[in-house]
Amino acid sequence: MMRLLLWVVSGLVLGGIIHLVVILTLPRLAEETLWGRLTAYEATNKMVILPAVAAGEPNPLGLDPDLIYGLCQVDLSEGPAYLSGQLPDAFWSVALFNEAGVVTYSTTNRDGIGQILQIGIFNAAQTRLLAQQQLDVAEGVLVVEAPDDALAVLVRFAPPHDAMRARFAQALANTTCGPRAQDSVPAPAQ
Amino acid sequence: MRFVLYLLMMIAIALGVGFGSSYYALTDGRLFGVVRAGPWTAWPDIGSSAPNPYTRAHLAREATLQLGQAEGLQFTATTDSAGEPLTLACGYRIEGKTPLASFWTLVAVDRDGRNLAAPDSDPDIRSSEIARTNDGALLINIGTRLMPQNWLELRGQGPFTLKLTLYDTAVFSGFSSDESMPAIIRESCA
Repeated sequence: MMRLLLWVVSGLVLGGIIHLVVILTLPRLAEETLWGRLTAYEATNKMVILPAVAAGEPNPLGLDPDLIYGLCQVDLSEGPAYLSGQLPDAFWSVALFNEAGVVTYSTTNRDGIGQILQIGIFNAAQTRLLAQQQLDVAEGVLVVEAPDDALAVLVRFAPPHDAMRARFAQALANTTCGPRAQDSVPAPAQ
Repeated sequence: MRFVLYLLMMIAIALGVGFGSSYYALTDGRLFGVVRAGPWTAWPDIGSSAPNPYTRAHLAREATLQLGQAEGLQFTATTDSAGEPLTLACGYRIEGKTPLASFWTLVAVDRDGRNLAAPDSDPDIRSSEIARTNDGALLINIGTRLMPQNWLELRGQGPFTLKLTLYDTAVFSGFSSDESMPAIIRESCA
């Protein structure tokens, strides 16, 4: 009886080890990753509007049909990335995804940014240069330090009504994204 | 002979416990990082820059564009408030209040994430689009058959999942104690 119990307990312990190994290695073993799905949109250094979700259609990225999504992939090893534009007055938010699909930074325009989308994304070395004032950035740029070089920038934009969707999507498509610093800050909305 | 039997039993226990608990942790996840509020579940750690290993594995498994912590939180329900699985054969009523958020959207999807809204109807319900009761609470009818008041019209048959996405919310972030979620009540069935 004692021996049987010992075998059962060893089975449970081994099961626990298998559980931990599965949980810890799953992110590395996944074949279809978020990064792979995003790369298919060819959004390197430009803002690409993701197709709207329609009823009955597959939705592999889990998008909200009410929102407009702008995607841009940047590589900070080419230099700091800048996201710049002016969006109509509605809720929008920005999230930075790393290659593992983890959101390393996110903010919304309720945090006092208003309608101006002016974000500079820097890696650790570039942030140090920035602190030493060896890198110039335009005034009003929200400085974001990212721990990874390869990033996907996702802008979620919520038009208050469906009728505004096309115009809002165009405004989001007009935002620039990439390693080149913007020379001029867009004028505030009238 | 007995040794071989014990060994086989131990291996069976280890595999069952190891893979079974891993599958459970990443689907239901009740004991592993998922928070529940009535029939609704959410992964509060999903938008953080350093998610726990279970959330990280869940992220890899879903490979979708998750909301960052500053952007909001998505709740999922696969059962009604009585614990019965949601099915398109029945109508449902959602009533109560949501935690404070800039706005929220409600969609019904199938197991593969396809939106189940009827063609030519709104694919989702948004907080700004609904008529509320006198005390500000929400009352939404969901189903395939004609229903009064706010109606999320669905098509199809079989089980479905409700996704309630709160944008710009502090719920479960440690900064808000308002964790009341609306109830899902089953109405008549076909």
